[in-house]
Parts: sequence; C-alpha cells; structure tokens
Amino acid sequence: MDTSSPAAFVNGGLLRMHVGRKVRTVIQVTRSDAGSVMGKSTDGCQLVVRGSPPAPLTSYVEVIGVAENESSIRAELWTNFGDSFDASNYDQLCQLANGELKHLFL
Amino acid sequence: MFSSSQFEDSSPLAGGGFMSSQLGGSTPSSARIRDMQGLVPATVKQISEASQSGDEKSSFIIDGVDVANVTVVGMVFNKNSRSSDVRFHLDDGTGRIECIRWVTERLDTGDLDALEDGTYVRVNGHLQTFQSKRQLNAFSVRLVTNFDEVTCHYLECIHFHLQNSKVQSKADEAPDLSFSTPVRGASNGHHLASTNDFSMQYNDDGLKSFDKLVLNYLQQPSNIDREMGIHVDELSQQLKSPLEKIKDAIEFLEREGLVYSSIDDYHYKAVEGL
Repeated sequence: MDTSSPAAFVNGGLLRMHVGRKVRTVIQVTRSDAGSVMGKSTDGCQLVVRGSPPAPLTSYVEVIGVAENESSIRAELWTNFGDSFDASNYDQLCQLANGELKHLFL
Repeated sequence: MFSSSQFEDSSPLAGGGFMSSQLGGSTPSSARIRDMQGLVPATVKQISEASQSGDEKSSFIIDGVDVANVTVVGMVFNKNSRSSDVRFHLDDGTGRIECIRWVTERLDTGDLDALEDGTYVRVNGHLQTFQSKRQLNAFSVRLVTNFDEVTCHYLECIHFHLQNSKVQSKADEAPDLSFSTPVRGASNGHHLASTNDFSMQYNDDGLKSFDKLVLNYLQQPSNIDREMGIHVDELSQQLKSPLEKIKDAIEFLEREGLVYSSIDDYHYKAVEGL
C-alpha cells in the first residue's frame, strides 16, 4: 500500500495553497494547443494546464499533476470526464476536501 | 451505472455502509456489528489508517465502525493477469492499494480484460491483510462511465465519516455542510442532504429522515410565519420529491401531532411550541 503521493483536490482558488505539490482538478476546456490546454476551473478561474492532452478532448477533463503556480499545472495524467459533468458538486467537494476533512484525503 | 444503485433495496448489499447508524448509537460494540456491515465507501488513505479489530484480525475499524467490505473508486495501474487471478493497483488520489480479483472461470475476467492504466473503475471488495500489507479482495470491478460518480464517491466517503464520527444527535448537522447529491438534476444549489438512498437509512427520534426533512422545512421560521401554511406542491418542489411521497410524510407527521392542515387539505403548518 502506498499513500506517499496523494493528489490534493483543488479548484482555481485553492491551487495556490498547493504550489509545488501534486494536485488534481477538473477543468472545462476553453482552448487547446499543442503542449497546453486552457480551461475554466470549477470555481470559474482561468487555468493553464501544460503537457500532452489526449486527443480528442471532451469538454471536461480531469488533470493530475504538479501545481506550478497559482494558475498553472503541469499535468502527468489526463482523463476525459465527458461533456456533461456537475462542476458545482466537484467544486464543493474541493472545498470539503481542503477543510476539516482533509485527513481523509491527504 | 450510478453508484447509488449499490444501495438499492433489491441489491444484496442493501443498506450499504450506513447500516451501523440504524442501531442508534455512535460507536456500537464491534463484535455485534460485524455481521451487519454492508459496503463502506472509503478512500485508500482511510483504509491505510484503519486499525484492525479483534484477535482474528480479520476485519478493520474505520471511524469506530467494523468494516469488512469497502467500495473504492480510482484508477487502475500495473494490471497483471495470470491464470489464477488478475491483480492491479488502485490509485484513488489518496493512495494506492493492491486489488486481487480471483478467477474461477474465464468468463469472470471479461470485465477486466479491457482495463488500461489510468482507467477509472469502481472496485467493491473485502479488505484483508497479507504479509502485513493491506489488500482488497475484489468481487466486483466496474468501469466508471459517468464521472459524476467519482465526485459522488468522495462525498459518500465524507458522509460516512461524518455520520460515524459525530454523536448521533449531531448527525442532523451534516446536511448543513451544503453538499448535494450529484446528477439527479440537483445542480441548482439545493443544499439539503438529498432525499436519495443514503438519507433514507438512518433513524432519528423514530422519524424517518425524509419525514424529518418535511418537518424541518415546515418548521423554518419563515414558513412558520406564513399564516396560510405551505402547499404540498411547494413541498414537493422544494424537496424535489414526488407528491405521493410528500403526502405520505405529511400523513405520518399529522398522526404524530407534529403538523396540521391550515386553510385546506393541501396546506400544512408545523405545530409550534413542541
């Protein structure tokens, strides 16, 4: 069993709390180029995710990677989350997972 | 495909991980409960921190509750298929745990053949220890196709945790944490712990949780102030439940002397001063 590299649930606002560490988040893709994807976080912030996204990309994609700064992530893993996804639920999960329930996750 | 199907009454796993709360205590003595535990939603982190119960060390304790079977959602890695079993690591973002699916017939592993690294699955299995490592003896591995299931699973883990770590009387405060059950069109910010499968399982003061929801709504000060009372249609709309269900709850509450009809048979108010 290995709990040594957990990824923190983040949205746009929470990203800055985990700079330099492994994070996971879901974004709604707004633009994708070779090497990076721009998207809207579940709390409405613009984020840049760098790496090689899968093709094709669905509207929502989960990325797991390292937070480079408060608005950018270097992704290691990409998962297409489909074209319909409940972003507000995910956003609330991020808040709960970073609050007093953090110990269940990290 | 939605995870709440695991808690349907028709399923052999009915009652899910919430059975323990039906016994009305916060931490019932473990030996008794062991036979009644269903499938507990957990993160790998919680599993790694669980203590082992009893001398037999055949089950674990999470949040004071005896847990034998868990449900976990995460990504598959390092899948290894052999003639006797299929093994893989499940990474749910909080840690990794080894899962083993024993093969009895070729047909059994049809669900696993297509799994690639990084695929999201839900694994239901029995927690066990082998050579001092915790493992999951998987009896079911299912692909996740609707990713709201991922969000929902973590919310269920949180819910289970909160339900078992707070004193029973405080269990009612859990709904204040403003999380809503995903998918069922509940994305308009409706903040009550939904009337779905999970809330139906726990008892409080002899009232089923749905009845309590109806009562709580009527007991809100703003609703108490409404002289004409609340129409059952409004209840149905606000609580996102079918009218029949609302009527059943009202009938029960009325019999208990907790609500009364006001201007007509469709308007009700909560009895005050109780």
